[in-house]
Amino acid sequence: MTVYPAIDLLAGRAVRLQQGDPARQIVVADDPVGLARRWEAEGARWLHLVDLDGAFTGRPCHLDLVGRICGGVGIPVQIGGGLRTMADLDLAFEAGAARAVLGTAALGASDLVAAAPVGGLLAEALARFTDRIVVALDARDGVVVTEGWQHASGASVVETARRLAAAGVSRFVYTDVASDGMLAGPNMSGLSAVMAASRVPVVLSGGISTLDHLRATAAAGAEGAIVGRAFYDGRFTLAEAVVAAVGAG
Amino acid sequence: MRVALIDYGAGNLRSAHRALEATGAAPVVVSEPEGLRDAQAIVVPGVGAFPPAMAALSAAGLVEPLRAAAGSGIPLIGICLGMQLLFDRSEEGSGATGLGLLAGEVRRLPSGVKVPHMGWNTLRPRAEDPILLGLPELAHFYFVHSYVAAPADASVVVAEAFYGAWFPAIVRSGAVWGLQFHPEKSSRLGAQILHNLLAILTARRAG
Repeated sequence: MTVYPAIDLLAGRAVRLQQGDPARQIVVADDPVGLARRWEAEGARWLHLVDLDGAFTGRPCHLDLVGRICGGVGIPVQIGGGLRTMADLDLAFEAGAARAVLGTAALGASDLVAAAPVGGLLAEALARFTDRIVVALDARDGVVVTEGWQHASGASVVETARRLAAAGVSRFVYTDVASDGMLAGPNMSGLSAVMAASRVPVVLSGGISTLDHLRATAAAGAEGAIVGRAFYDGRFTLAEAVVAAVGAG
Repeated sequence: MRVALIDYGAGNLRSAHRALEATGAAPVVVSEPEGLRDAQAIVVPGVGAFPPAMAALSAAGLVEPLRAAAGSGIPLIGICLGMQLLFDRSEEGSGATGLGLLAGEVRRLPSGVKVPHMGWNTLRPRAEDPILLGLPELAHFYFVHSYVAAPADASVVVAEAFYGAWFPAIVRSGAVWGLQFHPEKSSRLGAQILHNLLAILTARRAG
């Protein structure tokens, strides 16, 4: 299982938020490029970058910084946050992103309705960028939430995962919003349900605070785990996390 | 060593530039034939599709100068799509002619696997070559591609990787090199490969 160190960008700095709330932020680094290089030096195989200003405003806000991070490290980087148009995706890939993460806010309202065909941005993005597109499924109590986690969509996350995978989405990042940044442990039943419904690689995000959480996530068959605050709080190192992720298969 | 890093509009050069600099080379971004004049080595990076890449090289007037440089013995290194461009032709799109510095063609990955092949994968050595010095067994490198080279002469294959089938991951013929993976995105071992390569080229110059 791949361990993805997370770097969340807010106002040019790397921060951690609790439950997605910009009012509850902790600055982890003033220099995100240096932080990214540190992760590479510690052995990261991938980085997970989130433009939080982009996620909140609905348009990418840190493309220049993203470009300096992607160009400044020798490992692939996936980025998300505020990517809502094909032009945004072009800019993200030009900045050097290996994969782009589309949040559910980037999908058409009809993409979250069981009966409607997947269309618009997602269909076009999948046709052009195939496996380089990742869809982030953010859920609370099994229901997809959008708009920087402020609004519940009413759509079941499991049903949405099933439909989007059938439409060609080849990878999901699954976040249980209630767990994120709270270090209370990931929502394993939610993860398993999304994996079973989609049958494509799923990366778990949110709630990992112990090596046992990582072992359980790997044992459940997740393709990866995004880890942020647990690292920044010094609960374990990346090297320890990689061993835990491998040890469980 | 002055390394000409070819910019033909195919994606971002920043990682390749940084990685070459880190090996002690002096990369210079080159987008026109004059830039090749003092080059001691040439790197053709690559992201994107074969036919538009050849069209861009052609529009920049770089196709014949690149062939001439390789013909005169200046080391030429193709990375990812840049490696594929070294061959005679590709079946990508409606097909296109390549630089023709290595005999063979470029074909789509076998059916039955997801394309692109994107992610970390291991190499299997096929030849003893100093570019592989210091690499552990099961060394992982980062790949992103939908097409693979099918060399006419299998002896050019230095290392291969498996994705649906074995395919060339490193090829070499004289001073022409191709790397199907992205050394500039393959962390420490990618840097090791570039370091080895630069050491080989430096030794060639000294010798």
